[in-house]
This record gives sequence, structure tokens and C-alpha cells, in this order.
Amino acid sequence: MDALLHRLEVLLPADEFTLLAVILLMPLLGAFVNGVFGRRLGDQAVSLMGLASIAISFAGSVVAFALLAFAANAAGSGESGHAAAATTFVWRGWEWLTLSARAGYSVPVEVAFSIDPLSAAMALVVTGVGLLIHLYSTKYMEGDPGYYRFFSYLNLFIFSMLVLVLGKNLVMVFIGWEGVGLCSYLLIGFWFEDGANAAAGKKAFITNRVGDFGLIVAMAMLVYYVGSLDFGTIAANRSLLLQDLSYWPPWNRLPLLDWMQTQSDWSVLSTVHGWVTTPWHASVATIVALALFLGCVGKSAQIPLYVWLPDAMAGPTPVSALIHAATMVTAGVYLVCRMAPVFALSPFAMFVVAFVGVSTAVFAASIALVQNDIKKVLAYSTISQLGFMFLGVGVGAFAAGFFHVVTHAFFKACLFLGAGSVIHAMHARIHATDAAQDLRNLGGLRRFMPHTHWTFLASVLAIAGFPLTAGFFSKDEILYRAWTSHLAVPVPDGKIPGTTVTMTGWPAWGPSVLFWLGVAAAVLTAFYMGRLYLGIFWGEFRGWRIVRRFRPRAAGHHDGASGAPGAPLEGPMPRESPLAMTVPLMVLGALALVGGFLNPHQLAVLIPGFHFAPVDDFLAPVFATAQSFGEVAIITHTEAGSVLAALAVGISVVAALAGLGIAYFIYAMRGGTPARELAERVPWLHRILLNRYWIDEVYQEVPIGTVDTLASAAVWVDRWLVDGVIAGISSGVVRVAGTVLRLFQTGRVQVYATAMVIGVAGVGWFFALPHAAARAFGDDDTGRYSLTAAPGLGYGYRWDADGDGAWDSDGFGQVRDVRFTLERERSRTVRLEVENAFGLRSMRRFEFTRPKVSRARPAAGRNTVIEIDEAGGARTVTLPDGRKIELEAPSPAEEGAR
Amino acid sequence: MIVFGDAAEHFVLVAAALFTIGAVGFLVRRNVLVQLMSIELMLNAANLALVSYNRLHATEMTGHVFAFFVIAVAAAEASVGLAIALTFYRLRSSVYSDEADTLRH
Repeated sequence: MDALLHRLEVLLPADEFTLLAVILLMPLLGAFVNGVFGRRLGDQAVSLMGLASIAISFAGSVVAFALLAFAANAAGSGESGHAAAATTFVWRGWEWLTLSARAGYSVPVEVAFSIDPLSAAMALVVTGVGLLIHLYSTKYMEGDPGYYRFFSYLNLFIFSMLVLVLGKNLVMVFIGWEGVGLCSYLLIGFWFEDGANAAAGKKAFITNRVGDFGLIVAMAMLVYYVGSLDFGTIAANRSLLLQDLSYWPPWNRLPLLDWMQTQSDWSVLSTVHGWVTTPWHASVATIVALALFLGCVGKSAQIPLYVWLPDAMAGPTPVSALIHAATMVTAGVYLVCRMAPVFALSPFAMFVVAFVGVSTAVFAASIALVQNDIKKVLAYSTISQLGFMFLGVGVGAFAAGFFHVVTHAFFKACLFLGAGSVIHAMHARIHATDAAQDLRNLGGLRRFMPHTHWTFLASVLAIAGFPLTAGFFSKDEILYRAWTSHLAVPVPDGKIPGTTVTMTGWPAWGPSVLFWLGVAAAVLTAFYMGRLYLGIFWGEFRGWRIVRRFRPRAAGHHDGASGAPGAPLEGPMPRESPLAMTVPLMVLGALALVGGFLNPHQLAVLIPGFHFAPVDDFLAPVFATAQSFGEVAIITHTEAGSVLAALAVGISVVAALAGLGIAYFIYAMRGGTPARELAERVPWLHRILLNRYWIDEVYQEVPIGTVDTLASAAVWVDRWLVDGVIAGISSGVVRVAGTVLRLFQTGRVQVYATAMVIGVAGVGWFFALPHAAARAFGDDDTGRYSLTAAPGLGYGYRWDADGDGAWDSDGFGQVRDVRFTLERERSRTVRLEVENAFGLRSMRRFEFTRPKVSRARPAAGRNTVIEIDEAGGARTVTLPDGRKIELEAPSPAEEGAR
Repeated sequence: MIVFGDAAEHFVLVAAALFTIGAVGFLVRRNVLVQLMSIELMLNAANLALVSYNRLHATEMTGHVFAFFVIAVAAAEASVGLAIALTFYRLRSSVYSDEADTLRH
């Protein structure tokens, strides 16, 4: 094994790691072949192409991962005790752009990719989970007319995601970022015949635009302040980001504000003036980090830009699993991890990240409590879990946050695929999309779909944080770190970066607020996941009355089974999904159970002195830069005694068990009665949650309504002003001109030919006559003037340059230039005669007058004018502002001394 | 050949006369075939002018080379022109250029 890795290391040097190109290009090739030829190739070939390209990409990622681990081991054993720099393999394509930054620096933008432990882990998740979901899709999408289109989009998505993950600079990441956004849009609106699906795709795309704006601002600021978009260079030069930036007020003077200041009679106005003009400061790092986070908020569906994700469930279920649960939506967390050195410099931005994360976790979990659509529950659950990840990275526990990305990819992909399997089974009788995934139509499926049931249960336990499952280890670590982490950053005193005096950090109440909100979200998560699981798999089947040997009527597949809840309906026994769908479920379900043992910190509570955290150790070099600034530690961590750690684990376990227990009590033992009673007793709360706090409606009215009003105004201006007046005038001019010009369009060849002949004759006549023409140059100050005659074929020239009325020479020569000098206030008439090849002559006069005062005098107030008296006396210096300084003449003694 | 000498004037005068005949022919005749012949006449006049001016630069062959280019282009032009004339005749059963007025308005 070692020998093999050695050989591969020689084959793929770290600075020219061409394997990355293979990993990247295979999915692109798949997308191209499936997209262009897919319709003719047939479904079999399409699935082969799609699966094979992702499989090769996955194999490449595994090799890259192994090589990274191998190289990291080698480096670690070489210099034991020191935290080695993160091993990075780079593949440079070509230089693409050059941007110009501050002070004339040019910033090259390369098409370059690199793989380090962070991106290797992410690439493994993307290609690994992607492969399983591709396999699942071969059966789930069977028979769909857009089969080839689906696989083409899916492959394109994997390609874009890999560009995002492997990009070496922010521009590459941005390209991938937009690419996954595009694929998300295409796949949400995959069944675009239904207007609602197309609208959902549009909503996702437009909401993400808001976030992308932040990303672009962040890139521009990094170019300006750091002069680079390359991750390594940004991390190396991040001290530049500590400088102070005054971002308010954005103007220096404004007439209205000046007037407000003078109104001392009205104290309100001067108060407002003082309030508006008070400067606001922040470090550049804070602004950059917040702008980056705006991008992450859009992509990772956090408050306030989360609204697109629940609607995104309109896409096929494998899409929801791959893009809107496992990979794309975690891109925001990945970006924060990637830009950790920048984020760590701003405790404020970090607190915003953590607080937005934990608020989203609680908020989305509360909505998920009452939703009936199983995919909607999972969507809000995804938003909530993404909030946990942001809580993790926001408190500086980048590895813990990222580990939750990985475990979440396992269990949430499994949950979505399980939901897809359930929907697939429901389609035996109910074809309406909403009804097939309505919790009120499901129930009791554990008897019919054992594989789906067991894998779903494993994932539910994992996401609820049941002890020793994957979600337990990752979520508990985040909560624990939220409780104990402390962030403080050196603030530069004055303008020179590096002169640090003060440390600014978090308020003391920060960590505990974050922790308890996180615990609340954990309880809610366990509860709604329990409700979802029990609702789907326990109790009686509520979809239709199961009839043995059920025969659909002649109308067949779509016989009008509306599937409205409670509608009497008969149907066959729901059946387990085919193997291609259950195998991915089993793999992901198993990973959801045991994946946590990749990073089981919490076992130290049970086994003293236990240390086994491969993920943390693997990722640690990547985040080493972020942890400290120079010699100063930024992210510190109350090294808790075993009591505190045990307490944290205990709270976490209690939270998970309490949530699951309450759900079991309400939905399994009492059949949901207590929940219904509670909803009747406090109907307002139930309505708020069921209607998702009316956030969608508010967005519809306020921002979208404003834009609509603006658009109507713009339409009015366009229709009446632009089209009516401006376009009317120009069309009128064209019409009149056309009426005149049409007279010349006779349609007779002879008329056109005559016009040509006349034109040619005119040109010939012009050339046959001589033309005496010359350009004059002159300087009134020096009195030197010159004339240069225009050239012509066969021309001869003669001059009367001295102005005496007689030609300087009798014959015509080839002298084309004359020069002469004039005294002040003198004038002269210069004549030029030209003779052409036909002996025809042309003559012209040129008048020159030198004025008394030169016209080209320097404008007053611009230049410094020094005048020296002719007598050698006083000198006058006129300064630009008009002041005159009289200078003493140098004394004879000084003259002599020289 | 004392009549012509080394000068180019006589040849150029012949070329000018040829060109004028061609131009006038193109303008006054309406038969497309005659017009094509007139065009050929003008092109040949240009060729003659090029070749005769080349006499003034005895060491260079630019004029001759240009004449060959013009001949090649004229051949292409003639084939296209005849093809148009033929098609026009098929469509309109006429060879008179002023009957080609479909695009007039």
C-alpha cells in the first residue's frame, strides 16, 4: 500500500496535481454527453454515463484523499510536535484575468484548483453521496421523459460543486457557486410544466442573487485591501484586514445636512443631524466577513434568506437529497471554513454568524413542528441543521461545524431518499404530488417497507442526537464548543497594522445564550423528527383502503385519484422500493449510525484519557492559521474539566431523549391527541407555526411589492415617454428621410450606373486639378513659423517665403517645407504655387502676424511665474494663488563669492 | 517601332477610349448581355491602362500582375453575371434590365 502511494506521489507532484483535472472534468463530460446526445442514447446509456463519470470522480477523490493523508503523515512524523502547515496539492490551469487593485497593483486571477484536507473531505462527500444519489435516481426517475436531462443537470451540478470546493481562489469558488445555483434552479424547476415548480426555481435563484451580491462586494474589498483573491495569499496577508474603515456617513458634505445643523431652534433637526453624521467604524475584516456571510446566508438558507429552500422541494426528491440537503446548501458553511482566517479576525462577524445560525436553528425547527408535508418538514429540518453548522463555525469550532456538514450529509440524504422511497410507494395509487407526501395520508408503512423503515429510523436517531449515532457526536461537539469558546482579536492602535494594544471580544453572556438556544433547537429537532417518523411508519395506513388483488380501472394510471385526505379510495398494498433505491439508503443509514466514530470526542467522558479524533486531526492544519494571529491566540477555549464536559454531554443526551420521548408519548401512545388538544387550546400559536410566521407573505408584500410598484412606474415611462416621445421623434425623422430618399430608388440599372459614372468623373476631375494646401505651425513666443504643403501625385512646388512678391525660384521643385522667423508686430504673406502632371497650376496665400503679447500665456492662478527684470534687478515670483513675492537682487559680494 | 516609342500616352489614350465606349454602352443599352459585354470592355480598358503604365517602371512587374488579377476576377464576374442573366431570362422571359424592377418599391 505504501509503495503504491509512493509511486502515485511521484506521478502526481504536489504542485502539478493533474488528478484534480480528472476529478473535475469527468462530471462535465457526463453532463455534456448526457445533455447533447442523451435523448438518442437511451436511458440505459444515460445512466451508465452519469454513474460512471461520478464513480471515476469519486475514485479520484479517494486517491487524492489517501495521498493527502499519506503526505500529512509523512510530514507529521518528520517534525513531530509541531503543527505542520496544511498539505495542499495544486493544479494550475491558466491565467485568466488581471484585475487592478489599489496603488496600481495588478491582481492576477488564475484558473487554478487545489486540494487540502478540508476540500478533500468535502469532495469525498460530494462525489460519494452524489454517486449514491445518482444510483438511487436511476430507479426513481425511471420512465420520466426528461431522464437524460435530469442526469445531465445532476452531473453538471457535481462538476460545479467540485469547482466550488476545489477552487484555489475566490473567483473559482464564485464560478462554482453560481454554477450550483444554476443547477439548483434547473432541477427545482425540472417539471417546469407546472407553474408552481418553475416559480419555486425562480424564487431560489433570485433569493440567492441577494446573497451573491454580498460575495461580490467581499471579493472587491479583498482585491482592494489585500490585493489578492487567492486563499493562501489572503491568509498570509490578513493583517491588512485589521485596518479601520469608516463606512458611515458615505458623503462628506450635503447641503441639507449643513442646513439642518444651523437650525438651532429645532432641536430635533440638530439631533437628527448629529445622529446621521456620527461616523461609524469597523475593521475591514468585519465588513468583508459580513459580506461573505451574506453570500453564505443566501446559499445556506439562513435567516432572512431561507425562504427559497422549503419551496425548492418542488424538485425531484433525489435533487432535494443531493442539492438541498447534503451538498449545495452546505457551501456556505464550507466558505466560512475556507475563509476562517478572515472570519476569525472579527469577533463581531463571528458572533453574527453564530447568532444567526442558532436563531435559524430554533426558528426553522419550530416551523417544522406542525408541517404536514414530509418534504417540507425535512426542508425546515435542513435549515435548522445548517443553523447548527453556522453555530459551530461561528464560535470558532470550524472542525466541529464541518464535521456536522459531513454527518448531516449522511443522515439528511438518507432521510430525503427515504421520503422519496415512501413517495415512490405512494405513487402506486396517489399521483398528486402534495397528497403523496402528506403526513395525513401516510402511516403504518413499517410493515410494507422494512428497508426504508430501518434506514429512516437510523437517520432519525442520528439527527435527533441519540447517543453514539453520528448526529450525537457532531451536534454535541458544536454545543459544547458554543459553551466554552471565547473569541478575542487584537485591535490595531493607530494606522500601522501590527501595533496591537487592545483585544476586543464577545460579551460574557454570548456563549451561554448560544448554548441554551442550541439546546432548545436540539429538543425541537428530536421532537419533530420523532413526529415525522411515527407519522410515516407507525399507526394505521391512511392513504387508501388496501384491497388484495387490486386492479386499477381501465383508465389506468391517472384515474383521477385526487388523494384528498379522507377521500374513500381503494388501492394495492404499498411495496418496498427496488434495490437500486434501497442500497443507497442502507449505505447512508449505516453511515448515519456509525459515522460519528470518525470524531468521537465525547467518549472521553466515559473513558478517561481517551483521544481519538481523526477528522479533527486531519483538518487541524487547515484551521491552524485562524486560531491565532501571530503569537496571539484568537480563539480560546475554556479547557473544561471533565465535569463540565460530562454536563454538556448529559444535557445533550437529555435533550435528544426528551424530544424523542415526548414525540413517542404524544404520537405513538396517545395517537396525536395531546397535540391536537394543544392546538385547540392555543390556536394562535398553531396558526403562526402552520403559516410559517407569515414570512413569505411579508416578503411578497414588502420587497416584492416595492419592486412591482417600481416596475409599473418604469413600464409607464417606457411606454409613454420612451416609446411615445423619443421613439416617435426618431421614427418620424426616419419616415421623412425615407420619403425623400425613396425618389432616388428608381429600380433602373442605368440610373444607378449614371450616378456612378458622374461620381467617378467628379473624383477624376478633383484629382486632375492641382490643390495648393498647406498646414501652418507657429510659436508666437519665439516667432518661429513653418509651413508644410500637402502632398499630391506628380506635384511640383514653388514658394514665396520671404513675402517680397516674387517667387523664390522660377521652376517647380520638391521643397514642401518652409521655415522663417518674424519680429514682434510684423506680418508676412507667404505664397505657395503647385503644378501638377498636366501642367495645371494652383496658388494660395498664407498670412502670418506675430502679436505683441503672446497668446499662449499661462493662465493666472495655475502656474508659478518667475519674472526677471531686464536690468538684473528685482525678481518677481507669482505664486499660484496670485500672491507676488519680490526678491532681493543678489549682492555683488555674493556674486563675487561664486 | 517609332510610332509608339517608349511613352505610355498612346496606350493610355486607347484605354480611355475603350473605357468610354464600355461606359456609354452600359448606360445606353438595356440588353443585359450587351451590358455584360460593356463591363468586360471597361475591365479590359483598365487592364490596358495598368499594363501601359507599367512601361514607365520597366524594372517592376506590378502592373502586369495586377492585370492578371483583374482577368481572374473578370472571369468570375462574367460567370456570375451570365448566371444571373440566365436566371432572369427564365423568370421573366426577358433580357432587358429595366424589367428587373421587383424590388423597386
